[in-house]
Amino acid sequence: MPMAIQRISRSFKDISLSFEPHPITKDLPILKNESAIRRSVRNIVQTIPTERFFNSLFGSDVRSSLFEFVDFGTALIIKNQIETSINNFEERINNLIVEVNPNPDQNSFEVNIIFDIIGEEFPRQEYSFILEATR
Amino acid sequence: MPFTKYTNLDFDQIKTSIKDYLRANSDFKDFDYEGSNMSVLIDILAYNTYITSFNSNMIVNESFLDSATLRENVVSLAGNIGYVPKSRKASSAQISFNVTTNIDTPTLILKAGIVCVGSVDNTSYTFAIPEDIVSNVNNGQASFNNINIYQGIFLTKQFVYDGSLDQRFILDNSFIDTSTLKVYVKKTNDVNLGNEYFVSENIFNVNKNSRVYFLSEIQDEKYELKFGDGLIGKKLGDNQDGTIITANYIITDGKDGNGASSFSFSGTLETSSGTIIDPGTVVITTNQSSINGDEIETVDSIKYYAPKLYSSQYRAVTSRDYESIIKKIYPNAESISVVGGEELDPPEFGTVQISIKPNNGSFVSDFDKQQILSKIKQYSISGINQKIVDLKILYVELNSSVYYNYSQISSEDSIKTSVINSLEKYSKSSDLNRFGGRFKYSKVQQVIDNTDNAITSNITKITIRRDLQPIFNTFAQYELCYGNRFHINPQGYNIKSTGFNISGELSPVYITDTPTIITSEDEISDSTDSGNIFLNRPQSINAKTGILSLFKLDSNGIPTTVVKEAGVVDYEKGEIVLGTINITGTSTINNTIEIQAFPESNDIVGLRDLYISLSIPKSKINMVRDVIASGDEISGTRFINDFYTSSYSNGNLIRE
Repeated sequence: MPMAIQRISRSFKDISLSFEPHPITKDLPILKNESAIRRSVRNIVQTIPTERFFNSLFGSDVRSSLFEFVDFGTALIIKNQIETSINNFEERINNLIVEVNPNPDQNSFEVNIIFDIIGEEFPRQEYSFILEATR
Repeated sequence: MPFTKYTNLDFDQIKTSIKDYLRANSDFKDFDYEGSNMSVLIDILAYNTYITSFNSNMIVNESFLDSATLRENVVSLAGNIGYVPKSRKASSAQISFNVTTNIDTPTLILKAGIVCVGSVDNTSYTFAIPEDIVSNVNNGQASFNNINIYQGIFLTKQFVYDGSLDQRFILDNSFIDTSTLKVYVKKTNDVNLGNEYFVSENIFNVNKNSRVYFLSEIQDEKYELKFGDGLIGKKLGDNQDGTIITANYIITDGKDGNGASSFSFSGTLETSSGTIIDPGTVVITTNQSSINGDEIETVDSIKYYAPKLYSSQYRAVTSRDYESIIKKIYPNAESISVVGGEELDPPEFGTVQISIKPNNGSFVSDFDKQQILSKIKQYSISGINQKIVDLKILYVELNSSVYYNYSQISSEDSIKTSVINSLEKYSKSSDLNRFGGRFKYSKVQQVIDNTDNAITSNITKITIRRDLQPIFNTFAQYELCYGNRFHINPQGYNIKSTGFNISGELSPVYITDTPTIITSEDEISDSTDSGNIFLNRPQSINAKTGILSLFKLDSNGIPTTVVKEAGVVDYEKGEIVLGTINITGTSTINNTIEIQAFPESNDIVGLRDLYISLSIPKSKINMVRDVIASGDEISGTRFINDFYTSSYSNGNLIRE
């Protein structure tokens, strides 16, 4: 009799770094599927290269562009950096679109990252944040 | 279980094993993606493991003398077995000078500190003395004769002993020459330096009244002084010798200071009443240029000698024991040969013959010899006499014809320089330059061939040479051992020398040899047979010894015998004995007679106390064009005529 094949569903499960326990079960929070991938994309963009041990290329260097002129030129550089780093380190997504809009009055860039998750029936994901020099 | 491999020292491998573990034991899925939070945690875990395993590996390595790499750990481990590594050594020179003064003073004091400045390779170095030197003034003149000066800067450090247990007396400078260290202890109100304390390396003969201190190397090649506790060594304190410790020492540039031969005075002179005087111009005579400067003992050397000294347990029994103990009491020794008297020829039972090759020199001074002998007595077995004999250097000289393809070189001189440089490098290797060394012929040929691609081959002839240092104007006998069998040319020309003068003869004379031919029994059975091809051949020659003669050359180069039987040569033992002879002078500038021979084997061995040295300055490197390899000619006919080199020696009578 053939052994039953244990099927593992193609889902993603990651731990949350907030470490706030669930109010009832007291379990540590867990990020699943699209939220895990969204978190991953955010981690990649916000990690400064050389921050990770023995993986000095990991991350994107958008921070170094924050003190440049807030114009479309700088925005293009940031866009390229984000695209490169996500393409390099996150293989679970495709159709990546990165929009970076300079906001000279606020001295900030508005970043929109839009992507699809490969092989899953999730809607198109969108994740936005504002890059701003704080000092 | 993936976690069985504890020896991983690689971050990525550790990370992989953590991932393998998670893959098998949890329902988290995202650890494979670098951006995930899980990956951050795995990185931290792996990094932690990595640091821990690196630390444990390092700790275990550094805990053993064999594997330790950090100097302070090696020094500390060697300290556990009673070994104090040698410090940097100041280059020392000996000078004399006179000072004329019109001040009325019974004595002049040359103060400790800088004495003069000398220069080596266009760099100036200061030379100092660690203690005051006093000289009497006679008729307004004070002579400072044969004073030893040390390259470096004289420094003084003072400590006040406070009685606490954790007080440490650390000399703050690296590069200290500890042999110049002078330590004094005095009471607070004392004017002078106080009682001198002496370094002690072990507790032999140390009691509660011994004025000793112990010296140990600590971090960054600095030194710490430790004083007695009132049981082993005198304790410090007001009710003892005092609490003020003064340490005077010299910090030095080590071997960089070697070779200074002329000095200009810059010392301080004081009268007996303490007035500093201006000596005017002081002319310094150099008795001995600066020598014997050396770097601090290397980690490798500590690892080598510390266990040896420990295994000898401060007892000189075997020749290895002597090697490590002499290295300790005379740190300047580069190589030491110890031969038991029973191995000598003729045997001398009850003696131990020691030869020492000092760093940067060839001879140990008589004073040092006495010091070594008296110090080694306390380690050696009663009834055994030690004898330090002068180093006998057996020089190996090359006469090399180096063939080169001249289409591949820029100039003949440059390739000749390269050959000399690579031979120089080989001459410093450990194959040679030690007792029991061996000159390896094939290696040297390789060294020459591998110098440059343009070198196509070499024909190298070997001669061995010893320098005889005659005692002038005295009838004496001389014996030179080469330790290697000589090649015999039945016609002579085997032993050649430079010229020297003997009493009763005006022109310089030279040594030559005549082998004593012993013809063997006629083994040809039928000598009457005229068809016997062996009949007219010379019979076999069986020469073991020869007669040495002295001859002179007239203006046309025609030799005339001066002394027919001046000595004997033993070709088998490689030994030359000159009978009673009165030598009055030599043709060489350094008052030696160079006597050469051709070795039977091209590999030369340093037998017993012979120290092999490849003499590059006296070697001949002839550059010869290889016309065949260059493509000038293919047939080789010109090569045979014009560029031919014999592999055998020439028929010259005298050494050139």
